[in-house]
Order: sequence, then C-alpha cells, then structure tokens
Amino acid sequence: MSSGVKIENQVENGKDTSARKQGYKFVYTIGPYISLIVLFIVWIIASGKNVKTFPTPWIVIQKIASLLVNPLSGATLIGHMLVSMRRVFVALFFAIVIGVPFGILVGWNRAFRATLGALFECIRPIPVLAWIPLIIMWFGIGENAKIIMIFIGSVMPIVVNSYTGIKLVASLYLDVGKMFNASTQGQLLKNIVLPAALPTIFAGIRNATSVAWMVVLASEMLAAKSGLGFLINRGMEVFDISLVMAGMIAIAVAGAFLSWIISFIERKVCPWNRGIMSE
Amino acid sequence: MDETKIRVEHLTKKFGDLLVLDDISFSVKKGEFVCVVGPTGCGKTTFLNLLTRIYQPTQGELYIDGTPADPKIHNISFAFQEPSAMPWLNVEQNLQFGMKIKKIPEDERKRRVERILKLLGLEEFRKSYPRELSVSAEQRVIIGRAFSTYPDLLLMDEPYGQMDIKMRFYLEDEVLKLWKEFGSTVIFITHNIEEATYLAERVLILTNKPATIKENLEINLPHPRDVTSPEFIEIRRHITDAIKWW
Repeated sequence: MSSGVKIENQVENGKDTSARKQGYKFVYTIGPYISLIVLFIVWIIASGKNVKTFPTPWIVIQKIASLLVNPLSGATLIGHMLVSMRRVFVALFFAIVIGVPFGILVGWNRAFRATLGALFECIRPIPVLAWIPLIIMWFGIGENAKIIMIFIGSVMPIVVNSYTGIKLVASLYLDVGKMFNASTQGQLLKNIVLPAALPTIFAGIRNATSVAWMVVLASEMLAAKSGLGFLINRGMEVFDISLVMAGMIAIAVAGAFLSWIISFIERKVCPWNRGIMSE
Repeated sequence: MDETKIRVEHLTKKFGDLLVLDDISFSVKKGEFVCVVGPTGCGKTTFLNLLTRIYQPTQGELYIDGTPADPKIHNISFAFQEPSAMPWLNVEQNLQFGMKIKKIPEDERKRRVERILKLLGLEEFRKSYPRELSVSAEQRVIIGRAFSTYPDLLLMDEPYGQMDIKMRFYLEDEVLKLWKEFGSTVIFITHNIEEATYLAERVLILTNKPATIKENLEINLPHPRDVTSPEFIEIRRHITDAIKWW
C-alpha cells in the first residue's frame, strides 16, 4: 500500500517537474518579446505627456525611415552607419595586427616583457579619453585623429588578453610538446602556445570591438561631419530628440552587427570553443 | 635470444642531501611490458623523470639500444596521468600531433591514425574535440597518441589513476591491444598492484625512499588474464607483501 502511494507520488512529481520545465521553456522563448513589448508600452505612456521632449516610438520610426532615404549632411542613415563602421574596422585592423604580436611577445619573451611590457603597463591605465586633447593637438580633428583614438582604446584589451592567453597556457601541454621533441621556441609557439591562447586572444578582440564602438561615437560627437555620433550630436544641437533616438537605435543595430561578425569569425577560427562560446 | 632494448645502470638521484633513488640497475627487453610498483612517495615519479631526461641522474646512466638515452636521438613517448589531449585539435589531429612534430610523412600519418582509430574504437569520434569526449575516450586518445610514433620506449605514469575500476579494466585491455599490435617497449608506473599484475610481463618492486629494486618479478601468465584465477591472486598477494613496509 505504502509503495503504491510512493509510486503515485513519483509519477505526480514527474508530471509536475515536466510541466514546470515546459513552463520555463515557454517563458524563456517568449521572454525577449515580452520585454520588448513592455518597453514599447512604457515608452508610449512616457512619451504621451510631451512628444517634443520625448517622442513616441512611431515618430522615431518615421524619423529612421526618413533618414534612410533623405541624406543628412551628405549621407543617409546607412551612409553614416558605414562611415562609423569603417573607422572602427580600420582602427581594429591595426590594433589586431600590432596588438596581438606585441601581446604574444610580452607573454612569451622575458626580455621583451621586462622592457616594452613594463612600458605598456605604465601607459595602459591612461583612459582613452585622456588622450583626446593630445591627439587633437597633434593630428587635428580629421579622419586620422579619430582612427588613432579608436586604435588606442582597442589595442589595450587586445595586448592584455594576448599576453594573458600566452601566460595561461597549461605547462602540461608544453610537456607533451617537449616529450614529442618540439624543442625549439618556434615549434612550441606554433604547435601549442598560439592555438591554446587563441580563445583568450579572441575574447580580447571581442572586448576591443566594444571599446572601439564606444570610442568612435565619442570621437564623432567631439568633432565630425559624418557618422552616427555626429547624427546624435546634430540632434542635440537642433533639439531634435527623435534624431537623437534614431541615432541611438542605429548604434545598437550596428553594435549588434559588429558583435555578430566577431562571433562568426571566432566560430570559424576556434571551432573547438563553440560550445563554450554559446554557454 | 632476447634483444636488450633499455639498460639502466646504477641510477642514483640526490636532491641536495636527500637520496631518492639509490643505485638502481635493470634492463628491459625489446617489446617487453614492465610495470614499476612501490609504496607511495618512494620516488616513482623521480624515477620516471630520470627516464624521460627531465632530470639528470646524480650517478648512473640510461641506455637505449646501447647508447645513452637522448630525446633528440631516441623516440621516447610518454602518457601522462592528467587528461592531456590538445583541446584545439580533434581526435584525428590529436593522434597526428606527435607524428607531425616528428615530421612523419602525411601518408604514413594517416595510415597510422586509421589503424589506431580502428583498434581503439574511436572511428565515430574522429572529428570530435576532447571536450566533447568522455574521460575514458580522451584517455584512449592520449594512449593512442603515445603509441602513434612507434616509440623506442613508451613511459606511462599512472594513466588510469583517475578512473574507476571498471574503466581501468577496459582501458588496460586497450593498452594491451596497442602494445601487442605495435610491439612497443613499455614501462608502466602504477601504485595499483592489481593493475600491475594484470598488465606486466615483469614487475619491478621498489622499496621505500631511498628507492632500490626490492624484487624483479616475472609474471608468466598469458594475456588476457583472469583476475579470479588462483595464480593471479597469488602473484597479487606476493607483490602486496613485498611492498608492505609496515
């Protein structure tokens, strides 16, 4: 009798657990949509008081649609987006080309770490914003100045992660290499250290992309005639809040796109890390 | 007459004043499977590190084919206790790892990988990465990788130290399969007496520190061995008694 009750309870509990799991799954699936809907509802309610200081979602959507076809300062919304992204890509390219080998050398070579590594550690804590006056005085407010600002911001996490990635390579893997007679520094670096450090290096590039995106907007808000930062600044100057908000939405979209590109490359370059990346 | 592959003569190791290994001499025949057992802390790892040339002996020498052992000349392979498959390489690439460094031609590498995959039943996992494998499958990859270079001497440091008894028996059969197929000379370090009795053609029993060889015991039972047979149990008991220091 008692065992019968036990079995019934188990079945009941089993059903409960299963139903609960289904419920969670449903919540996880529709959760993002619900949050978006709530955001829009709150936005509509908040913007009902004074549409001039807080435009409704509809006004902002209309603004975006208008910016997509009507150029502002010589470019449509897509044009401004591409200008900002080009600046980010150029700076990131140089940051990767210079930062990754530099970080690897600092991590791998003791003499290099003691000299240039120490110098880098002195410069690293200076925030990129502190460099802006110096860069403007040296390079003006043109395209090069913006790219240099973004470069300085993004090269730091790349160097730090490359260096850390090399330092974190488990000595066991090096022992395996030595056991198979990988005796030269080049063999160890190529066969073990670099592949082992690659996921950490990529985490640095991902971090650098976020920093680069922040710095490009800051630099465009300071002095530019194109780019998403410029759009926001223009909106502020002429008190066009819908333009500011349209610029912010474009920034979110472009930022998400950049993040997706980096994830895509990472999946191709570090396929063994795929599960970990999605966790 | 059997050909001597490894000859260890008067191997002694001191760390400062601490004598860890004291005048150890033995030889291993070509293709022989030797297990080294001894009490915990007796210096088994030091012994192994001397054989791999990670440490240099205070006195004595290790000869492979009559010349002093040198990883640059001789093909010495090692299976570690810890999971040491390269996480960024899939099973096939891990098995090729040592062969690539040793610049073995691609055709030969592929042929050997196919042979090992088949022997170890890893064919369906050939494209899997280590993190997608079970602990036992990863350990099989490590054992396969160690055999892949056809080593002159294969050293194994408690490779099944972290496994439960069922998995141990399974993997012990796998290593015997590879050993017979490849004809390698194996020195297998373990603290597990049953494992040594199950695997070895000969068991070297070390004493407490400073370690010397207490007994050089031949086991003439055919493989696969029956762990419940009276002969097996008697040998296991004999080794246990020999190791006892209390």
